Amino acid sequence: MIESVNATVLLVDDNAQNLQVLYETLKDRGYKLLVANDGDKALTLAERHLPEVILLDIMMPGLDGYEVCRRLKSSARTADTAVIFLSALDDVDAKVKGFGLGGADYIAKPFQPQEVVARVHTHAQVILLERELQARNQKLENDQSRILNAISEGIYGLDPKGRIVFANPAAAMITGSTPNELTGRNFFELHFAAAPPVGDEDLTTASLPVQATCSQGVAEHRRNIAMLRRDGSSFLAEYRATPKLENDQLAGAVVVFRDITSELDNDRALENARETVQQQRDQLAHASRMATMGEMAAGFAHEINQPLTAITNYARVTLRMLAEDQTDQDLIRQTLGKIEAQSHRASEIIRRIRTFVKKPAAGKEVLSVRSLLEETRQFAEVDAKNNEVDIQVTVEEDVPDVLADPVQVQQVALNLIRNALESTRSLGRDLPVLVHAERQSADCVKITVTDQGEGVPEEAEDRLFLPFYTTKESGMGIGLALCRSLIQAQGGDIRFERPEGGGACFAFTLPAAPAA
Amino acid sequence: MKDMSDIEQTVYVVEDDEAVRDSLELLLKSAGKSVKTYETANAFLHDYSDRMAGCIVLDIRMPGMDGLELQKKLNERHSLLPIIFVTGHGDVPMAVDAMKEGAVDFIQKPYREEALLEKIEAALEQDREQRKTLGEKQEIIRRIKTLTPREREIMDRMIAGQANKVIAIELEISQRTVEIHRSRVMHKMGTHSLAHLVRMVLSVKDRIDAG
Repeated sequence: MIESVNATVLLVDDNAQNLQVLYETLKDRGYKLLVANDGDKALTLAERHLPEVILLDIMMPGLDGYEVCRRLKSSARTADTAVIFLSALDDVDAKVKGFGLGGADYIAKPFQPQEVVARVHTHAQVILLERELQARNQKLENDQSRILNAISEGIYGLDPKGRIVFANPAAAMITGSTPNELTGRNFFELHFAAAPPVGDEDLTTASLPVQATCSQGVAEHRRNIAMLRRDGSSFLAEYRATPKLENDQLAGAVVVFRDITSELDNDRALENARETVQQQRDQLAHASRMATMGEMAAGFAHEINQPLTAITNYARVTLRMLAEDQTDQDLIRQTLGKIEAQSHRASEIIRRIRTFVKKPAAGKEVLSVRSLLEETRQFAEVDAKNNEVDIQVTVEEDVPDVLADPVQVQQVALNLIRNALESTRSLGRDLPVLVHAERQSADCVKITVTDQGEGVPEEAEDRLFLPFYTTKESGMGIGLALCRSLIQAQGGDIRFERPEGGGACFAFTLPAAPAA
Repeated sequence: MKDMSDIEQTVYVVEDDEAVRDSLELLLKSAGKSVKTYETANAFLHDYSDRMAGCIVLDIRMPGMDGLELQKKLNERHSLLPIIFVTGHGDVPMAVDAMKEGAVDFIQKPYREEALLEKIEAALEQDREQRKTLGEKQEIIRRIKTLTPREREIMDRMIAGQANKVIAIELEISQRTVEIHRSRVMHKMGTHSLAHLVRMVLSVKDRIDAG
């Protein structure tokens, strides 16, 4: 039993009995059967129903089978139909003539029903498959051209010499021409004003864009390449060139390119905006450091007055010893040594202040977390004394160095510590402010500043880092917003954590320095 | 009994900064002062006794107990030691508080040696005066305590300005007996003039009334 196919079969014969026999033979096999008893009717039905197979009698009055076949083959709509000639003429010439007109097969009369069924089935199947294949090809072609037309990037197909064999509409638009004008021109001549290669001369010596792809099959991707438009003006392009292979032979290149002028403009604008933001952040940070210094001025004056007082005292003692002709040189030397030590102490305090208010920011450096926090602690100690709250710094053993701007990190740490001191004092407590550093992951260090002060109200938690948001009566709401901006510029982040026992904890992260 | 004003005076320096403390000690010693230094207010308070003589040079800003708190604690213990507060720039409001609490003076860091020594001399003088007065008062009280109840009663009436005759009548004794008591009072109190006696007794009036 032959599997049925869903095909249309046209039976053409001037003999009604023959038609009857063919009809009986093929009916109930899943075909849609059509019949015609002359050539004209056959052509009309074929045009209307596009049958897959036509069983065509040769000897007919009027249009004979050959003529019908010739006409079928000359119409695009019916050309693919499989024509099987039916004839009693069992001579070679007739068969050859039939095949010469595009016939697919030949069945001799009187025919065997099994033979008719088998041949019709085979041809119906072939034609169905062919038609399906064609439909798919058509769809693919449509898709392809839709894509090529819709794509905003220019696409060229080049032969190994750089001749343009294909150009999409975008390529024409970008270069100021039409696809037709482009086809056949030389890519290098057109867009780089280069002499076209002569004869078999290789392109290998030259170094024009895309040449390596055309001549050696090397894929290329380049940016900021100046290409000429048809009118001679130039634009900056980015392109990708991919070698085109046919049967393993280099057959040229496909070039996908686009005009990046506005992209570069955007990049520049973005870069400028980024720089402006950076500058403003640095300025704000500097202004904020100056403000902090202003708040801490009395404390610093006190800090500097200590060594100055000691120096004055020591100097007086020395003068008195000299005036009294006391010749204990050792004592004088000792006292002078103390004077020297105290002046170093004073200049160290001044150095610390100058470092802190320095502008612009020093840039990223590899920093020891321990010394950075220790320095900050000494700095904040001025406030710690006023607040009568201790600052305890602990750094775990395995904390690596970090890569960050020392001034800005210190500013953040100092800001957090001063907040913590203030908050602790407002409760009249003398529990210390804890500054702790630990390794959070392989490439990240976490630093926390924890206090036992008044804490942060739940409803304020989400808004803590917003600019101009503050819970302090005299606060500007700049501090934490700036802290976040500064820490994010270091590649870290900052967040609030609610300690279980009350108070507040601010945690920020810094990227570990790459291992040396 | 030894006169309290004769006790050697010491300058007590309470200063948390080691260099300032050390240099001040050297300076004061080279100026011939007896000096004792303390790093914290607590350490001084621990050492404190009412037998200390001299003055305190006290840093107003210190971690832990600050200068003002120490002053309060000393006031609670009726300390007479004059205090010179050492202040930093911008500590004037604190200094004013200190003065209200009885500090004798304050000096701002960094200071000139002459200014500091001047203030210390003044404080020591004040201490000497206070101690002398205190010594005199203690002597008066000691003498009052040697009087018999009758002599004490006569003295109170003398100070109140009663004449011998009035005293004799009110106490129902002879005028002669009053005169004998009176001369004993004058003798025991070590004076010849009634005006002096009145001054002496009034100067310690609060203390003898209390006990």
